[in-house]
Amino acid sequence: MRCSESVGVLAKAARVALGLVFLLVAGVASAHKASDSYLQIAAAPGRLEVRWDIALRDLDVALDLDSDADDKLTWGEVRAAWPRIETYAMQRLTIEGCPLTATGRGLERRNDGAYAVLQLASSCTLPATPRITYGLFAEVDPTHRGIAKVQRPGQAMVLSVLEPTAARPGAAAAVSGAGVGAETAANGAALPGRGASRWEFFGEGVRHIVTGYDHVLFLLCLLLPSVLRRTPVARQPVARLSQAVWPVAGIVTAFTVAHSITLGLAALKIVSLTPAFIEPAIAVTIVLAALDNVVPFFPVRRVVVAFFFGLIHGFGFASVLAELNLPRADFVWALLQFNLGIEAGQLVIVAVVTTVLFALRRWPAYARVVIGGGSTVAIVIGTLWFIERTANVSILPF
Amino acid sequence: MAGVPATLSIAPMRPSPALTGALLAGLLVLAGATTAAKAAPITPTRDDEVIEVLPATSASRNEDRQLRKRLAERPDDAALAAAVAQRYLEQARESGDPRFAGLALAALRAWPDPARAPSDVLFLRATLEQYLHEFDASVAHLRILLARPGSVRNAQAWLTLATVLRVQGRYAESDAACGDVGRAGADIYSRACLAENAALRGETAAARRSFQALLADARLAPSTRSWLLTSLAELEERDGRAAAADAAFRAALRLDSDTYTAIAYADFLIAQKRPAEALAVLKDEPRTDTVLLRLAIAGQKANAASRERDVAEMRDRIALANERPEARIFHGREQAMFALAIEGDAAHALELARGDVARQREPLDLLVLAQAARASGSRDAIEEARQLKATLGLHDRRIDALL
Repeated sequence: MRCSESVGVLAKAARVALGLVFLLVAGVASAHKASDSYLQIAAAPGRLEVRWDIALRDLDVALDLDSDADDKLTWGEVRAAWPRIETYAMQRLTIEGCPLTATGRGLERRNDGAYAVLQLASSCTLPATPRITYGLFAEVDPTHRGIAKVQRPGQAMVLSVLEPTAARPGAAAAVSGAGVGAETAANGAALPGRGASRWEFFGEGVRHIVTGYDHVLFLLCLLLPSVLRRTPVARQPVARLSQAVWPVAGIVTAFTVAHSITLGLAALKIVSLTPAFIEPAIAVTIVLAALDNVVPFFPVRRVVVAFFFGLIHGFGFASVLAELNLPRADFVWALLQFNLGIEAGQLVIVAVVTTVLFALRRWPAYARVVIGGGSTVAIVIGTLWFIERTANVSILPF
Repeated sequence: MAGVPATLSIAPMRPSPALTGALLAGLLVLAGATTAAKAAPITPTRDDEVIEVLPATSASRNEDRQLRKRLAERPDDAALAAAVAQRYLEQARESGDPRFAGLALAALRAWPDPARAPSDVLFLRATLEQYLHEFDASVAHLRILLARPGSVRNAQAWLTLATVLRVQGRYAESDAACGDVGRAGADIYSRACLAENAALRGETAAARRSFQALLADARLAPSTRSWLLTSLAELEERDGRAAAADAAFRAALRLDSDTYTAIAYADFLIAQKRPAEALAVLKDEPRTDTVLLRLAIAGQKANAASRERDVAEMRDRIALANERPEARIFHGREQAMFALAIEGDAAHALELARGDVARQREPLDLLVLAQAARASGSRDAIEEARQLKATLGLHDRRIDALL
């Protein structure tokens, strides 16, 4: 590399001329790359695992691992320093919504030296665009980077380069698609100004219901039979749209009221349930609602079912809300927006679905194909979700 | 620390239990296979087992730590910060290890605003940026520094500016800075600086005379003489006079064997189809990326026993460095040379060489671009290289032969 080394020659000569001190050192270094740490982040629903490899020689600069200063790091020195390594590193990494705990440790040889391996985990679901605050070695080496590989089940690995930012509130690197997003002041920080992002949590609510396939599937299951009336002998198509709309309105209202209650309770931290329970329970609600379409067994009216199951879905919304890190100052306002967003998204889905179902209602095979077939599909998907969420595996691509 | 097992096992990241084992194992194998860089678990068995040898420091490790500690207590002590940064910069240069440049920058972090940074601090920052190939930033910071009253006498800063501008292929601006080196009182350096630019532009005879006149001064320090001889050797090499270049390189290395000259001579020897001699020249140099690259290329051409190890190590280093995407830009020249000489991948080499000349335009950068263009057979690329050479006004018969 002439440009750097030529400067070495030139500067060396210049130093001689200009009377600067010249220190000659026999370099025996083997590493010639910049300082990087490696984060492998594996995200499954309700579970996050992070494997973090950090070079021992970088840690030595920050923590003086080489306690006898003989330029050699022994296993004894590293072992003794391990709690300090963990504390130092973990204070400098936060993944929003995912409090990390250390679960394992190890050592790894890479071709630029030995690395400490920290294994960390959290029982959380990694948000779609997780905000990772990375501050490792910010005060030691501003050219250091964290190379993060985020792997979600069934998806392509996403690589991002994390630039260390000195620990200060609100500084976070957004991990997204192709790389590191611009540093963002926390979403919430922009909200009190009530500027362009005044309705930002409304959008989050809409996005969550529209892309929250489990909630949509549950609603669908409840709606499938709504364009038929139960008569003593068989199910008959309703005559007028209004005959379908009222039961649908009842179901949707019950679902909405219920999930608003639990969403509010959870968001205000009055009640809290672990996602490990809620996520599989949501899958169960889908299976039960679909089963009831095929073989009616609910002892109560579907409005009541919608209400009770809506309570469970509300906790599901709340866990998303927690990841959004709502601003404290405008908490109620943000919560209201988020809920209104969910309701608006839900209304659009319901309107479209009801219209389609209403148009199909006189088809002779409606009960068999649409209700029977649709419910069977829902039962299968719900069951697979249940397995995924209890066993931490990934089967479905969504 | 009772909880630590005597033997560490480094399992790959493993989401939980038995139920899901098989499926996950499959996924993990796939994930593992995509990890470019080689890594292997270490399982120490005894406390006194050495896991890592830390790079030597210029002084003792304790002294090094004390300096860091003092700086941590007084981070805005400009003299102390500059001294620490200077030490790390020396180490980066001596070892070719860019981590030291990062440590040096950290020592200067109390002055994020260049307009308010003390002159020593600003100069070091610009020098570190140059080392890290951030040439535009380096030039900008040097210009801020040199606009300050009193900087007229700062010969070293002018010399650095002239060098960075030359690396960027801005010969006319470099000339102006070379002139300022002289006005700052460093006449020898000013004349050598101007001769270097003249040689690049093809004013070969005049440049040769300048170097020879400077070398006639018997009072020159050996390192200065060596530097002038290296510049002369490169001039002869570009002008196609192999015997004269060879003699000048040898004379330079006899006086002061520095890594830069050894690499330049090795490149010359490889081009002259004397790879075994290139290996001999490099054998005592620290195995920096730039040295290892030449060892791999020369070893391959000489069919040396060391070639497999060197090629594999270089390939691993590139893979590891490229986990940080910007490395492809930072090491574009070396990676292009490797792609061309070792991997035989002309298209990839051309892509890398194009990226490289966007920021760095020394003769070797253009030579690699021309070689990649020729090897890929792309008329557009050949034309592009010819255009760039014409724009810079570079004289180099090695490149002419390719275009």
